[in-house]
Amino acid sequence: MIGLSPENLPTPRQEDWKYTSLSRAIPKKLVPEAAKSSILIHRNRGQICEQGEDILLTGQSGMLHSPVLKVVLEQGAELTLIERHEGVGSYWKNMDMEIILGKEAKFHHIRLIEDSVEAVSTLNTRIKMSESSFYSGFYLIQGGKLVRNEIHCLIEGEKAQCHFNGISLLQGEQHGDTTLCAEHKAQYTRSSQFFRTVLDDRARGVFQGKVYVHKNADKIEATQLSNALLLAEGTEMDTKPALEIYADDVKCTHGATTGKLDEAALFYMRSRGMSAQEARRLLIEAFVGGVVDKLEDEAVREIVYYKVQQWLKRRPDDI
Amino acid sequence: MIKINNLHATVNGKEILKGINLEIPAGEVHAIMGPNGSGKSTLSYVLAGREGYEVTQGSVTFEGQDLLAMRPEERAAAGLFLAFQYPVEIPGVQMSNFLKTALNSVRKQRGEDELDALAFLKLVKAKMRALGVHDDMLKRPVNVGASGGEKKRNEVLQMAMLEPRFAVLDETDSGLDIDALKVVADGVNSLRGADRSFLVITHYQRLLDYIKPDVVHVLADGKIVKTGGAELAHELEEKGYAGYTGQAA
Repeated sequence: MIGLSPENLPTPRQEDWKYTSLSRAIPKKLVPEAAKSSILIHRNRGQICEQGEDILLTGQSGMLHSPVLKVVLEQGAELTLIERHEGVGSYWKNMDMEIILGKEAKFHHIRLIEDSVEAVSTLNTRIKMSESSFYSGFYLIQGGKLVRNEIHCLIEGEKAQCHFNGISLLQGEQHGDTTLCAEHKAQYTRSSQFFRTVLDDRARGVFQGKVYVHKNADKIEATQLSNALLLAEGTEMDTKPALEIYADDVKCTHGATTGKLDEAALFYMRSRGMSAQEARRLLIEAFVGGVVDKLEDEAVREIVYYKVQQWLKRRPDDI
Repeated sequence: MIKINNLHATVNGKEILKGINLEIPAGEVHAIMGPNGSGKSTLSYVLAGREGYEVTQGSVTFEGQDLLAMRPEERAAAGLFLAFQYPVEIPGVQMSNFLKTALNSVRKQRGEDELDALAFLKLVKAKMRALGVHDDMLKRPVNVGASGGEKKRNEVLQMAMLEPRFAVLDETDSGLDIDALKVVADGVNSLRGADRSFLVITHYQRLLDYIKPDVVHVLADGKIVKTGGAELAHELEEKGYAGYTGQAA
């Protein structure tokens, strides 16, 4: 699988693109970047750095950006990467990322998507995992007119573990799509998917989560959960959880919910003196907090909470 | 303190309160007793301002203000407190954050300074000690996984923190064993004072052995049908509500 190309855009007729229409969203007359930005991060065997990597990918109005990222961690290497997406005006950022994890390698991946609300951002990520390697991803989708965060994880080595967590905070006409596949090819592997989406105004969220278990990939454990909170009548959440299992001895769970804020809780809080807005903020923060608290790194957790609070402050007073 | 005048209210178009008249002076404890379905909980929700409880007639004056014109949070700031029959569980919201946000919202509305984290902690810990509430509770999500007794004690703690002028206790005894009941009643009694009034809503007389009322009202079919002293509660316990509803309750 290779990244998208402007000449050959997927259409909603393709199963995987049923809920996300790219051709309509992509700005017209974009100029391709003169030189593709290409970043390679390589860690040698056993290399562990206290200091993580911090990458900023900025979009510029009128441009077609096609950055290519590659992360290679050799045996036993460890890395934390914070990947930030920002930009100004209308552009299309079409990123292709490849992550290769050697035996016992550990990768903590934090992706903060705060692209311009006029921009389209399609982030295509492929992960390959060797024996006993570890991947944890946290994805924040907060910006962009249309964001597609697509991840395909091939779990080839036994006892490898991957965890995918994310929150989406969308308002206005924003469209945020998380499409994810954990492909278990080896025994004793584990994967988890946990995503929470908050939609306001006329925003639309998509979660397509898949767990694919190959024949003979026994004793694997896979969990999948998507919860969405709809704050306004005009919002829409499309959820497609999928399990495709060809092995006999596996443990897989999945769940999906879509709902509104709890009216009983809101009244309880207001009866204690909080304004309706304050009560809503607390409840929304608690909702996404269920995922944010999975972040081990306290500093990162604080950054994400700060962003959540900023988002909540920007919400209009809707009483 | 509070004056309820000819209060009529409907829920889903059905009239539940059919003309309640009740006046509670400062410092008094009034009890409302009544069978299931008589409108006890509706009265408490109407006073606290819950959506879906529509007042069709009558008025409620609280310390000279029109209570019914106020939002729930404004009522809280003005000094009204409802101890819920079923305290709501709020997953993900830490009790300390909940209490601090509530207290500071109320203080702000009352024109008082907001408390910083340290001052808040000092205050809440003192109140918790007095009520025998365990420190752990502050770190737990609001009411989640708490026993009936813990939830009711939590309500009393919130009341102690917000220092209302008038508190409505809605079936605070439901779901409590006798020990938990005593603890909760002690907490309430410690808050009694000359400028604080209570309305204790209950089905059974048992709670009133521990929280001694000045006046007891009997509510039946949306109206107060009898008013008397504390002895009325005992009479009801013996004879039941049959005489007021025309059928055994």
